[in-house]
Amino acid sequence: MEHKKRRLLTLPSVCWLLIFTVLPLLIMLFYSFQSDSGAGFTIENYIHFFSKATYLKLTWRTILSALLVTFFSLLISYPLAYILAKRLRGARALILVLIIIPFFTNQLVRVYSWLIFLQDGGVLNRFLAAIGISPGDSLGILYTQAAVIIALVHAYFPYMVITIYMALERMDNSMLEASYILGATRLTTFRRVIFPVSMPGVVSGILIVFVPCLGSFVEPRILGGTNGTLIGTVIEDQFTELYGWGFGSSIAFLLLALVILSMLVINWWGRRYEE
Amino acid sequence: MSRIGAAALSLVMLLGLCACGGTTDEGTANAGGEGEKTKLYVVNWKDYGSDDQELIAAFEEEYNCEIVNSYMESEEQLLTSLKTASEGEIDVCLPNCTILPAAIEAGLLMEIDPTQMENFSSLYERFQTQKECFGEDGKMYAVPFVWGSTAIAYNTELMDAAPSSMADLFDEQYAGKVTIRDDYNDAIMAAAIVLGQDPTAPNDLDAIRDLLIQQKSLNRTYWQTGDEFSKLFAGGQIEFGMMWSGQAASMKQEGEPIGFVVPEDGAIGWVDNWAIASGSQNKELALAFINYMISKDVQYAWAAKGGPAPANQEAAESIDPEYAASCGMDEASLNRLYFMAYQDDETKAEWAELWTEVKAS
Repeated sequence: MEHKKRRLLTLPSVCWLLIFTVLPLLIMLFYSFQSDSGAGFTIENYIHFFSKATYLKLTWRTILSALLVTFFSLLISYPLAYILAKRLRGARALILVLIIIPFFTNQLVRVYSWLIFLQDGGVLNRFLAAIGISPGDSLGILYTQAAVIIALVHAYFPYMVITIYMALERMDNSMLEASYILGATRLTTFRRVIFPVSMPGVVSGILIVFVPCLGSFVEPRILGGTNGTLIGTVIEDQFTELYGWGFGSSIAFLLLALVILSMLVINWWGRRYEE
Repeated sequence: MSRIGAAALSLVMLLGLCACGGTTDEGTANAGGEGEKTKLYVVNWKDYGSDDQELIAAFEEEYNCEIVNSYMESEEQLLTSLKTASEGEIDVCLPNCTILPAAIEAGLLMEIDPTQMENFSSLYERFQTQKECFGEDGKMYAVPFVWGSTAIAYNTELMDAAPSSMADLFDEQYAGKVTIRDDYNDAIMAAAIVLGQDPTAPNDLDAIRDLLIQQKSLNRTYWQTGDEFSKLFAGGQIEFGMMWSGQAASMKQEGEPIGFVVPEDGAIGWVDNWAIASGSQNKELALAFINYMISKDVQYAWAAKGGPAPANQEAAESIDPEYAASCGMDEASLNRLYFMAYQDDETKAEWAELWTEVKAS
């Protein structure tokens, strides 16, 4: 009886998920098997995707860029989270708020800010010139992959800081003391104690950065210059410019498959490390 | 402390979601009138003449009617609304030549008798006979309203003379100083002009692809929205690039050192046309409205307010020739344009894929 009641209580959220998550996905799946030129069930969209080197190349470029963003985010986030969790006392809440503040600005505003900041003759360029380490009047960062990565790291690293921070914060400090008492060096302590304990946070942090980067299209298009095309921008074009819903859906579905696959790999890797 | 962390995380995720939201802009004129007036439902672009209070007031008074505007977001979307609209929901609309044949073929538009519009005869000859306005039955279904071009805008402070050819965009001596639009249609038509192919029906797409791949590294970047171009231009990041005549004109009026030229080998043109939806209940009024919109006075007034080039020859000739030439609105420019034509879905997909290949190269 009690069990039945509990199940009844989950009904609203299950319905919500069905209507707003599962159903749209099914609609997308349906479209991905529809031809853009005629009617009827077809797998031509998927065949088309794999028969053109261009789309595979763009997918590879997308994965590479997402990996780079994840790597740099980890490089920034881990020390920051460690300092937040273990070194700071009073300023902790303040720093957390400071990290979150960029999220109060609209994505486009953030992207345009980077545009102005990074452009030749822009803020960064003039600053570097003023302190005498200018590489001439052209900085050459804007409209390259570097600009895209900077903007994406800026957009997503706070997620990672927070997940790692929460993992480290839960860690019992006496474990550290125990490690030192048993004669471990700082490096060994980090390698054998701190890092394994923070692993769940690192794994979810990696996921939370890597996955949205795979589908990003605004930053690459505006900051990436002529090489800013990624698989996300191709999907965008299919839907907004060409009304190629069938082909667009099939690329989106392949991207989703890639996301699920990468989640499995990252989770598997994380669990193996813990053992 | 971890509760703060959890709260912070959920806050971050929520905000992340909010940042993805877009805005839609749907406008309707106030519907509160006296009730007796006939309503004419017009679908057009926002701020595009037919929703200009000054221009419309005289018409509303003369015909004791009310113009109810709604706005389109793209040509494709207009085509969809024409297909799904119920009887009388749309009277007049403003398709361009890229969707006109599809709309006519699908029976979405009503035949128009040009002899019932006294202003029709003052349109440029080429607009009176524009082939996209006619169905396969030889009957007329649309009336040209305004036209414009996608040609070359240049910085008059950085360049001594205007670029004279579309080929300049493909010239290595300007590497890093030019920009073209991230748009498959513009890119392919421009490359076809340079290669001497028919821009509305290029026959050697491989050559076009190769040329565009070669041209790729010359661009500072590809621009997509008008705003992006403005920033590139204002920051002195480019010397010249492909640009719309309309935006070049408004940037000039804002005092930017911008010049606009339709080069000798040609550029890309577009035409917006008035048409009557087949479900319209007010055909007479719709015709009168179109006749009014193509009249010399309205066309001149709209062009003087910074609108695109008039299809009405008399109106075009009353514009200051110097201003007209500097915005590519003169007859010489008009005659050099290749007008964007209707392309079927298959061709569009093929062109778009070619462009993706260029960008992925």
